[in-house]
Amino acid sequence: MPSDPQTLAHGIAASARDFDLCLDLAAAILLAPLASAAAITLFLRRRGGAAALISTAAAAAVAAGALWLAFAGERFTGSKEWLRLGDFAVSIGFKYDGLAALMLSVVGVVGLCVHVFSLGYMAEDASKARYFGGLSVFMFSMIGIVLADNLFMMFIFWELVGFSSYVLINHWHERPAASAAAKKAFIVNRVGDFGFLLGILMCYGLQGTVNLGELAQKAAAGHLAYSRAIPLLLFCGAVGKSAQLPLQVWLPDAMEGPTPVSALIHAATMVAAGIYMLCRIHVLMVPCALEVILWVGTLTALYAALCAVTQSDIKKVLAYSTLSQLGYMVAAFGLGSLDGKASGVGAAMFHLTTHAFFKGLLFLAAGSVIHGCHHEQDIFRMGGLRRRMPLTFATFTIGVAAIIGMPFLAGFYSKDAILYLAFENNGAVFAVLAFTVALTAFYMVRVWKIAFLGEARGEAAAHAHEGGPALGWPLAVLAALSVVGGYRSLYPRSFEEVWSLVPEASGAAQGIILATSVAALLLGAGAALGLYRSAEAESAEDALRRRAPGVFGALVMLKESFDAAYGYYVAKIQQRFAMVLNFLDIVGLAGVVVRGAAGVAEMGGLGARALHTGRLSTYVYWFLGGVVVLWVLAAGIL
Amino acid sequence: MAHFLFTCLSTFTVVCALGVVLNKNAVNGAMCLLLCLAGIAGLFIQLHAYLLGFVLLWVYAGAVVMLFLFIVMLLDMQGGAVWRYRAFHVAASLVAAALLVCGLDMLAVRGRFEAPAPAGPAVGGSMKHLATELFTTYLLPVEVIGFLLLIAMLGVIVLSKRFEGSEGAP
Amino acid sequence: MTQTLDSYVMLSALLFAIGFFGVLLRRNTLVIYMSLELMLVASTLALVAFSHFNDTIDGDVFVFFILTVAAAEVAVGLAIIVALFRMRQTVLVNQLDALKH
Repeated sequence: MPSDPQTLAHGIAASARDFDLCLDLAAAILLAPLASAAAITLFLRRRGGAAALISTAAAAAVAAGALWLAFAGERFTGSKEWLRLGDFAVSIGFKYDGLAALMLSVVGVVGLCVHVFSLGYMAEDASKARYFGGLSVFMFSMIGIVLADNLFMMFIFWELVGFSSYVLINHWHERPAASAAAKKAFIVNRVGDFGFLLGILMCYGLQGTVNLGELAQKAAAGHLAYSRAIPLLLFCGAVGKSAQLPLQVWLPDAMEGPTPVSALIHAATMVAAGIYMLCRIHVLMVPCALEVILWVGTLTALYAALCAVTQSDIKKVLAYSTLSQLGYMVAAFGLGSLDGKASGVGAAMFHLTTHAFFKGLLFLAAGSVIHGCHHEQDIFRMGGLRRRMPLTFATFTIGVAAIIGMPFLAGFYSKDAILYLAFENNGAVFAVLAFTVALTAFYMVRVWKIAFLGEARGEAAAHAHEGGPALGWPLAVLAALSVVGGYRSLYPRSFEEVWSLVPEASGAAQGIILATSVAALLLGAGAALGLYRSAEAESAEDALRRRAPGVFGALVMLKESFDAAYGYYVAKIQQRFAMVLNFLDIVGLAGVVVRGAAGVAEMGGLGARALHTGRLSTYVYWFLGGVVVLWVLAAGIL
Repeated sequence: MAHFLFTCLSTFTVVCALGVVLNKNAVNGAMCLLLCLAGIAGLFIQLHAYLLGFVLLWVYAGAVVMLFLFIVMLLDMQGGAVWRYRAFHVAASLVAAALLVCGLDMLAVRGRFEAPAPAGPAVGGSMKHLATELFTTYLLPVEVIGFLLLIAMLGVIVLSKRFEGSEGAP
Repeated sequence: MTQTLDSYVMLSALLFAIGFFGVLLRRNTLVIYMSLELMLVASTLALVAFSHFNDTIDGDVFVFFILTVAAAEVAVGLAIIVALFRMRQTVLVNQLDALKH
């Protein structure tokens, strides 16, 4: 009797050899959160506790199902036609391969951790049911993106994910900042999605299909039509969803939502959907599109890291950190192939996985801190949390170590894979990314030091306390994953398909990469520890601002410039255009067309009315007129 | 002789018709109508439609015009209506009438209704023939007309009764 | 000179036109009705003339029916006029314009 779970599950799957079972399981994974959301919406609006339990149960079912499928190792596809208009058909289907297996497992595990964390974090919230309903809708939509086998279906779930993000950011809707942030997120995403939709339409028009399997077959046979526009337009969707330049403005503002939401959606899964989509369509990529993608990712990574240096809100720092890491992933994808394999895909997905673990951990730990300090989010009012919240401190430290690339932790391996790829393919990008590694170390250690070490700087921090087990267990699980996540052999066999694509440094290059990453790490960490020394850590002001106000001001401007530009555009250009259209609408459409049509009808009515004189002779004259016309017709004159 | 008779009768008829239309007094108009009908009955007889001529006199002149007279006198006219016609109305009506005449005439001329007077005794003169036709070829219309008269009778009764009931004293 | 059909038709047309003239011009409802009857009689004259000159009996039969129908119509029409008079206290057409607008 085999005791190894992998072989056991594989045996079970083998006995149920018809992949219908797997299809059904995939469908169940997709629909369980939807059922939970429906139940909450219909019946449990006022019963927050029950809603929380149902939603968490659904998340647990998803996680269990995802892991089962991953360990079973089956590959399957299945689809059903949903809508047909003449020649054109939209179908709903699943494509479960190594990529989907990996992503589904990540979504399942991190989702479950966040759900359990929310049980504790949102325990006293008044609208718990709405929150958990939103989480369930999000899980449903995200799984839909992961399992989608064609681009139309992916687009539908793409939009659903955006919607659930809106609902969740807007959870505390009495706060105007939250409403504004939700709107901003949705609208900016819309801009990206417009390009995405154009790309899908072009793909359908040019290649004749949007089914991922068929596209892969066409690519293998060499029948794909060459197009630069399609991959770039599809990348627009990723620019919006994964918050790359220039559409990155929504992600920092999205921190207005509850912290578990930020962990799940804006760190681990939704923003990673853009990367996932890119990996799905990598057969459509052409070199010039990859060039563009590469530089967008690299610049985003650098820009976000620079902005993160000046932030004082713990969540905003993590948000910019997410932006930066997403930039890494996009850049990795853009670096393309190495040694004939699609190494970009491998490197990006590897970093996506490890990032999901350690960023999720960092956000949840930040949530625990915020919860413990009674919703204080300014790091300059925290401090000394090392002694007050030991578990949180330990897990946060592990997270920081992972993200800055401490050797032997998860982030080290994935970052080095990307650096190696950059080193081999594009030297300039390698230099920029290496510098960004240093910056990452700098700002992460800065936050860690100011928030956790030293003495408490504020009242709330002085009385901080750990949350309950609901907050503790997810932290522990994610911390464990952040430690071991870099060892690819520990994963289920199904992920081999993706892991085989990860570039492995060897020989001299390996030494260079190792040296670069460790040097950058030490440089950044050292600079942070030095700048924010204990004595000055007591002050409530940023040491950098005091020491180098010019640099600080420049970095702040860097962050503000995008928002200012967009604000200018909306206020001056778009508003004016909208007013012109409004004027045209009122005068032209409502006035001329609508009132005009009504006026013409009225005139007609008045004319017809005038015929009713009520006098007999008038009617007889009309009668005579009719007779004359008949005569004229009969006489053949007319 | 026939021609002379025709001319007299037609002139008489036309004059009486004008009398009907132009008379201020409605009773005078009704009397003129009576005379007009007499003229037309004469024309019918000249056309050898004897039964029809007499039926015209009995039914039309005898019953219908009497009915008219009764109603005219019932409705208590305050003498004749004041002749306040606008010239426009008169002119328009004359034009309309002229149009009619011309139109009918044009039709007649185009149709070229040239037919000589028949030699033998006219078909219409025989009452037996008329009766046979009525009760064989045209039986259905006869039955329908009977039905129609029944309905007319009922209608008149209903019309006069209803308003009496709803209004109280007439 | 023998009469042709033309003269009878012309006469009929003339009577018809006079009747029409009366319908258009007069204000008194009863006089209008009488003119209407005049028009009807004119048409019967034309029919009898046609029947005579074409050697058929159909025209006469048709006139028979027309007379019957005219009698029924007059009865009902006058009943209506009487009822109208009771409601409106007038028979002048230019005062009977309740259907105006």
